[in-house]
Amino acid sequence: MSPSPPAVIETSGLTKEYPGGVIALRGLTVTFAPGVTGLIGANGAGKSTLIKTLLGLLTPTSGTALVFGHETATDSERIRQLVGYMPEHDCLPGDVSATEFVTHMGRMSGLPATAAKERAAESLRHVGLHEERYRQIGTYSTGMRQRVKLAQALAGDPRLLLLDEPTNGLDPAGRTAMLELIERIGTEFGISIVVASHLLSEIERVCDHLVAIEGGELLRADTLSSFTGVSQTLVVEVDEGVAALLEELARRGLAPRAYQRTQVLVPLGGPGTGPGTGAADQAFDVVIGAVADLRLPLSRLEQRRHQVEELFRDESQEAGNVS
Amino acid sequence: MSASATESVIHDIGYRRYDGPRLRRAAIVRALAWHSFRSAFGFGRSAKAKVVPVLALALLSLPAVINAVSVSQGNQRTIGYDTYIVGLRIVVMLIFVAVQAPELVSRDLRNRVLPLYFSRPLRPVDYPFAKYVAFTAACLVMIEVPVLVLYVGTIVSLHGGSAVWAETRALIPGLLVGLMWAVVMAAISLALASLTGRRAFATGAIAIFFFLTEILAVVVLHAETRGDPAALTHASTAVKVAGLFSPFTLFDGVRRWLGGTGGDQALVPDPGSFGVIYVVVLLALLAASLLGLAARYRKAALS
Repeated sequence: MSPSPPAVIETSGLTKEYPGGVIALRGLTVTFAPGVTGLIGANGAGKSTLIKTLLGLLTPTSGTALVFGHETATDSERIRQLVGYMPEHDCLPGDVSATEFVTHMGRMSGLPATAAKERAAESLRHVGLHEERYRQIGTYSTGMRQRVKLAQALAGDPRLLLLDEPTNGLDPAGRTAMLELIERIGTEFGISIVVASHLLSEIERVCDHLVAIEGGELLRADTLSSFTGVSQTLVVEVDEGVAALLEELARRGLAPRAYQRTQVLVPLGGPGTGPGTGAADQAFDVVIGAVADLRLPLSRLEQRRHQVEELFRDESQEAGNVS
Repeated sequence: MSASATESVIHDIGYRRYDGPRLRRAAIVRALAWHSFRSAFGFGRSAKAKVVPVLALALLSLPAVINAVSVSQGNQRTIGYDTYIVGLRIVVMLIFVAVQAPELVSRDLRNRVLPLYFSRPLRPVDYPFAKYVAFTAACLVMIEVPVLVLYVGTIVSLHGGSAVWAETRALIPGLLVGLMWAVVMAAISLALASLTGRRAFATGAIAIFFFLTEILAVVVLHAETRGDPAALTHASTAVKVAGLFSPFTLFDGVRRWLGGTGGDQALVPDPGSFGVIYVVVLLALLAASLLGLAARYRKAALS
């Protein structure tokens, strides 16, 4: 790689309005740096539309998108040579072996016959399918099928991988394995990756950067470290007295906000809580003190990471202005 | 190789970049067409997938083989190159396209593989184009192989260059008629099959289309001609119009307009100048099928 690599993806005022008036992207201007970038947003936030636009399959209503400096509107074939795509949904035939399938997909990426065979074997080995690769895909578990989907994206030796919800349908162990694989491809193989997901907590451990979108607009684009500061949260659930608790916690120096009807979320690492591991303990004490003083019926108090929709829903305007 | 910088893992040779040659778009389309052509005969699939194509080809070749035996015993060739055994050809080709066209297109729809194609250097129109070329070639093999067996089986028993030349001159229109069948049947059956990912539905739709239109045409023809359309020298307009109802009678109408023989293998009476209408309707049917097929995949690329 060159010493200061240019942006992998750059969009400028990217807008996509579907016939019928549904606007999937609204003036999205964002840059994806090399490395692993998480693209987070709730379902319907515009993640898949963005990916399809980057592949040149959708033409933006206005604005432009560049992938490795190539314009999606005019140079999409060149882009598709450089990009591997793993769709969200199932996309594998059941009645052929993984080797045959990935070989064929390598051919379709422009590899000559022999090279396609070699790269199919290598890609399947990289994703951890070895002996099983001669078995029919129909006999595979969900986790193995996800790996085949990743292998076919890898077969054409892409410079960029676009992965749409790669952990969909996997059990916790499968998720961990898939995420480790993604991390390894990003760091060891030197392939830039965009991982679309609606679960920040899941992808944050493998990402260098995060791009959050909602309603087709950019919420925030930043390095991972600036996100994690706010991604740790205390969830306080009380059966009544949410308003009083909010007031009391704010008075004690925290930055609480109401979530749903009975919950109060307290971001850690923010006001009133110190940095580092002590933050949680300190905030715990403050919250318990406040709940006890107000004599509220506490039904839950736990520390957890945000799902992106919680993280941004109430402060989307503010966050949007920041970036 | 330099990417495998980690010190610990020995069994892992690391990720290797591919810096060999890359095929251009045209070569990728060719690879897809070849792959599809093979799958039309069940190659690269299970043994079960080969049953229908192999049986169909054998069945369709049988009269040509019988002819070869007969000619070798001093008899005349009785099967026409341009008509072959038209009833058998209709039935066998109908089954072949109804079973194999879904193999080429419905499978990919069913398995939702299309986004993988469209995220590669191919353009949306390349996919149906490759499938169409492949399936036309497959239909051509099905139709022309028996005709060529007929030809070879005949000329090996002939003596003298002029006899072989006369035979060859009779063969050429036969091959062209086969080409017309293949080009049109492939287009119609792929267009119908591309409408659904359910294989059984696709097979049913194709079979019903070819079967019902043929029944319709034949019923009207027979009602008008009292059972023997070929015997008519001057067909009424109603009879000529009836020939427009089915691809098979259209093929035969065009064949006869171009000078093809009548006799008991003809499906329609000589259309005379009305033959131009047969050509126009057949071309319109072909164009509609191909445009429908292309439109289907232009839409699929966006979803």
